[in-house]
Amino acid sequence: MPRSRRFFSAPTRRELLLPYLLVAPALAVLLALSIYPLFYSITISLQQETAAGVVWTLGHFKRLATDGFFQTAMVHTFIYAAAALILEFVLGLALALLLNQQIRGRGLFRASLLVPMMLPPVVVGVVWRLMLNPNFGAINGTLKQFGVNTEGLTWTASPRLALLAVIAVDVWQWTPFVFLVLLAGLQAIPQEPYEAALIDGSTRWQTFRHVTLPLLKPAILIVLLLRTMDLLRVFDQIFILTEGGPGFATETISLYIYRTAFRFSDFGYAAAMSFVLLALTNLISAAYIRLLRTEQ
Amino acid sequence: MPIRFQNVTKKFGDLSVVEDLSLEIDDGEFVVLLGPSGCGKTTTLRMLAGLESVTSGDIYINDELVNDVPTQQRDLAMVFQSYALYPHMSIAENIAYPLRVRKLDHNERDKRVRRVAAMLEIEPLLDRKPRQLSGGERQRVALARAIVREPRAYLMDEPLSNLDARLRVQMRGELKRLQHQLGTTTIYVTHDQAEAMTLASRVAVMKKGRLQQFDTPLNIYNHPANRFVAEFVGSPSMNFIDGKIERGMFVSEEIRLAVDRPDGNVSMGIRPEHIHVFTQPQDGTIPAKVYVTELMGNETFVFLSIGAQKLIARAAADFRAEEESTVWLRIETDKAHFFPKRQSTDYTE
Amino acid sequence: MRDRRRGIFKRGLPVLALGVALLAALAPVYWMITISLKTEVDEFASPPKWFVFTPTLQHYYDAFVTRSFGQYLLTSAIVALVSTACALVIGTLAAYALTRFHLPYNLGRKLSLWILSTRMFPAIVTAVPLFLMMRDLRLLNTKAALIVVYTAFNLPFVVWMMRGFFAEVPRDLEEAALVDGDSRLGALVRVVLPLVTPGLAATAVFCLIVCWNEFLFALVLTQTDAAMTLPVGIAGRVTQYEIKWGVMSAAGAVAMMPILVFALAMQRYLVRGLSLGAVKG
Repeated sequence: MPRSRRFFSAPTRRELLLPYLLVAPALAVLLALSIYPLFYSITISLQQETAAGVVWTLGHFKRLATDGFFQTAMVHTFIYAAAALILEFVLGLALALLLNQQIRGRGLFRASLLVPMMLPPVVVGVVWRLMLNPNFGAINGTLKQFGVNTEGLTWTASPRLALLAVIAVDVWQWTPFVFLVLLAGLQAIPQEPYEAALIDGSTRWQTFRHVTLPLLKPAILIVLLLRTMDLLRVFDQIFILTEGGPGFATETISLYIYRTAFRFSDFGYAAAMSFVLLALTNLISAAYIRLLRTEQ
Repeated sequence: MPIRFQNVTKKFGDLSVVEDLSLEIDDGEFVVLLGPSGCGKTTTLRMLAGLESVTSGDIYINDELVNDVPTQQRDLAMVFQSYALYPHMSIAENIAYPLRVRKLDHNERDKRVRRVAAMLEIEPLLDRKPRQLSGGERQRVALARAIVREPRAYLMDEPLSNLDARLRVQMRGELKRLQHQLGTTTIYVTHDQAEAMTLASRVAVMKKGRLQQFDTPLNIYNHPANRFVAEFVGSPSMNFIDGKIERGMFVSEEIRLAVDRPDGNVSMGIRPEHIHVFTQPQDGTIPAKVYVTELMGNETFVFLSIGAQKLIARAAADFRAEEESTVWLRIETDKAHFFPKRQSTDYTE
Repeated sequence: MRDRRRGIFKRGLPVLALGVALLAALAPVYWMITISLKTEVDEFASPPKWFVFTPTLQHYYDAFVTRSFGQYLLTSAIVALVSTACALVIGTLAAYALTRFHLPYNLGRKLSLWILSTRMFPAIVTAVPLFLMMRDLRLLNTKAALIVVYTAFNLPFVVWMMRGFFAEVPRDLEEAALVDGDSRLGALVRVVLPLVTPGLAATAVFCLIVCWNEFLFALVLTQTDAAMTLPVGIAGRVTQYEIKWGVMSAAGAVAMMPILVFALAMQRYLVRGLSLGAVKG
């Protein structure tokens, strides 16, 4: 039949209105609470209070170029995102490959692995502040038992180690997610290509490179996309763990924006920065989506 | 309830799926819309149901214009090809659904459901869920749901096509009896010409959105309006021989037959049962070579060739002939149909 | 000979990796739970006491009865439930419309993409203006503000998930219902919704989890006890000078319990929901 049967196509005049009525509430909510705030934000990011009243200016955006804190925050964000992404991906992929077979109690195992990523970020923060406490935390306590000198290992209080610590916490929390998505992707791959490769005499590494990886690409891209988006905007657990400290050693861009808005009440500048962040995440997600689409 | 289509056209964008269809269906008739896939028969049914809008033209039910009447108010019942049983409801609830929607009270609903279930012999299934039923059983439930409402007409969209061959033949008979019992107007869509011939009081043959012929099955069989109808109805299909008529002789390659027709270029159509096959030459027979024979049990199909022309003939059950052997044919030229020799023929009045 | 060695290696490594991963995942959480049950003396013990200690419920009592964590818990629950309900109703209706009806100018597809993109915003981008808006409307420190914001937060997800579930219901069923005499909305309620109930449940659970865990908006929009949610309550105490770890752990343990229960119940849909339907888990 030369037509799409997806949609009803016999509306009476009154029924023509129905879809719009059904969609209207959702649209209204989103316009009011997702779109309007954006416009509000653009407005204040382009305004500054001067002696002569409120003027339109690019001053906030210009300030970004010379703001040391902003640049440091960006650097921190990128290091954080890159390190966490690589670690989570490698570990998650390794686990998924290893466990892509029938194991008894798989359901239970999967359920247990869910725990870290389901926890409220706040709780993750509490858990790890306890673990990483220099004096009575489990990490240092166990290390001491193995004879390691934990004098300098103040983790979240150490300017050198704090960033490392928060990255480790993120890896702990989100590797299970990468693992689960990649495992699902692996299990969706049919047996035939593997059997064909076996008959063709390919080695395990070759099979991995030429059969597994290409067929896994969509899952890989999705998981990388989602993680990158989340990593770039990270806030919750770092706030609990270090509040951006010690000093500003772990201040990522979201934390800096928060500080600017809510400690210094400099809303205009905060708005300008958040747009830069938004533009950045849009660019990156567009790139990923383009990659994903060429795969399909 | 009489139903009338008046110059109904349906377009999807620029594509015409039904073109200028005019049909008058009497009360109590069993009309079959017959044609190959894509001919617009299902779309026509759906327009009648109100599930598709009409691009131009009018549809009347009981002389009342229904183009703008919403589906739920047209008081028609429909049996879908997939049966469309509600999976989460029991059979009894499925059948009762149209009554529930009309806010019939509980007792009345129950009574009617039981009555219809008895009529279709599905009483023991009333408490089960659709997924527990076989194809034939589901089909009967779909029918029950249609009947329980006592609607103005029944619309059926290839209801038997998902059944295996034997069940199909059985259900065909039951459907026909049922319709006679109930006496309600029925519009039935199918691509199976055997179904159309056995069930219909009248058949509307459609091709590419246009009506080709609307007549009783017998008339369609014996007096097809054009080559398409002639070829589509009847199994095995009618044989066609292209040739020329000159001074009372039909000539085509190695075939010469006397016919009482005016001169011209024609396609001669002859049904397999009007070609008689003999193993020995007889008066007025022409020779042909046997390609293969199919023993059907009650009769034998003989596939023949005369030069490049291929033919099928029906012979008695005990007819036997070797492949590549020569046999003799008598063609009943007075039963032949003659059509203009053209690529395609459209419906012409 | 070689095969046998390979076999053990092949089976052994996954099991080992499994064990290590499980340990790494659960040990820290277990540690926090022990802290919540230990007396102050045991908390600071060195070497750390993993298994042997006398448990006490003092911290739980402290947190939920003496201090305001009980109230925070209630607030979190109310906000989560109400906003999830709102998002489900509004979102499901919209999802149904987008799946079944043909809007002109390809509006349906554009709308879905746009709805999805709002999910991609960094929270801080809308948090700042929303704070200012709520301040102007005098809605700071109210449950209403949080409910409304969380509804908007969850809406794209609900629409996305429910679209997928609606698409799996064959059109024939609704057409049969219409021919049988039911109205569009009647058919939706009586025929379609019962068939997507598992989808609705899974979506609801996801939304509840998101609301319960949410931190940034709650932090920004509520600073007083009146509308403070559990995560913010916990965070507030952690960043002050004197940190009562026992109380913190007790609150944390309670905060994570409902999530674990829900997540376990909804395992089946987890991967699908988290990867936005791209990967069928």
